[in-house]
Amino acid sequence: MKTLLNIFALSVLGAAMLGVAFRLPYGEPEQTHMDDYFLLNAQRDTGANNVVTSIVFDYRGFDTLGEATVLFVAVVGISLILRRTHEGEEAADEE
Amino acid sequence: MRSRIVGYIASVFYPFCLVFGLYVVTHGHLTPGGGFQGGAVMATAVALMIVSGMFTVAVREKKVVRYKWCEALGLLLFVALAFGGMLQGGSFFHNWLANAGGCFGEAVAAGPNGGALNTGGTIPLMNLAVGVEVFGGISIILVTMVRAMKENRDG
Amino acid sequence: MNAGWVLLHGALLLGMVLTAASILWIRNLVAGAIALAVFSLMMALEFYLLQAPDVAIAEAGIGAGLTTAIFIVAIMATRSGKTPNPGAPEDEGTPE
Repeated sequence: MKTLLNIFALSVLGAAMLGVAFRLPYGEPEQTHMDDYFLLNAQRDTGANNVVTSIVFDYRGFDTLGEATVLFVAVVGISLILRRTHEGEEAADEE
Repeated sequence: MRSRIVGYIASVFYPFCLVFGLYVVTHGHLTPGGGFQGGAVMATAVALMIVSGMFTVAVREKKVVRYKWCEALGLLLFVALAFGGMLQGGSFFHNWLANAGGCFGEAVAAGPNGGALNTGGTIPLMNLAVGVEVFGGISIILVTMVRAMKENRDG
Repeated sequence: MNAGWVLLHGALLLGMVLTAASILWIRNLVAGAIALAVFSLMMALEFYLLQAPDVAIAEAGIGAGLTTAIFIVAIMATRSGKTPNPGAPEDEGTPE
């Protein structure tokens, strides 16, 4: 009984996911006005041929700043957690 | 797990990985790629050395200090370039070098073309800053993990 | 899209599903990490076929390179740590 219920739940979930997945356009994104603006004006505005880089570093620079900050915080956290403890024991006790 | 052949072949591939990452970084405004991707490719070279068992070369204390300098200077250069737009009278992240005629300031022809390296304004400099920062950051993560593992094993 | 493209996409997606299942199925941890690298490489190829080469480079560098290295380092560290840090708990008797 329990396996039957499991199979039923799995098949319903899979059918729902496949139904959503087959409705999406695959590999052919819709055209929007932002795409047209970037494709038409990115070369003149930023002077870079790669439109993706001109979006990442110019139009949406804040995203890249946040990304760099996330990496910096990760590095700080890892070097705090895994810092050298053998010589640092006395220094930690003195504080 | 540690073989001498794998170690030597990894040390042969190490400079090629670094140079390819630097190519992806410096040509970020012309070809696919950019600072983050190129920095990750450069850090893959360090990961290759670590995984292949040659990590005594990469784990020396001086190199860790050098990676930390890379990380800090990259992030500082990135933020300074972003603030430079405000100094020139624009907004934060304003591209104040583009089409100015000076360093990286040539205007690019419209339409699909091969492009020149001397274009893009602040974008190549920001690419370089982010590339150096990502390279230093991921290298610090890897090297710190390996050093902590070795210290834990040695007791 | 003609039939060849559909076949290529289908083969890649099927390979990704099979590789992802094999990650769960394999008992060896290092082999599982390698299977994860193969999965990332297939995903990078799929990104490239969908005309996103930037994401493909990032996926190939981070997914197939750095994640595998970090996993292998973590597996080595946990295997060597079967005798957890001898001598460290005796030194400091008091917590705090």
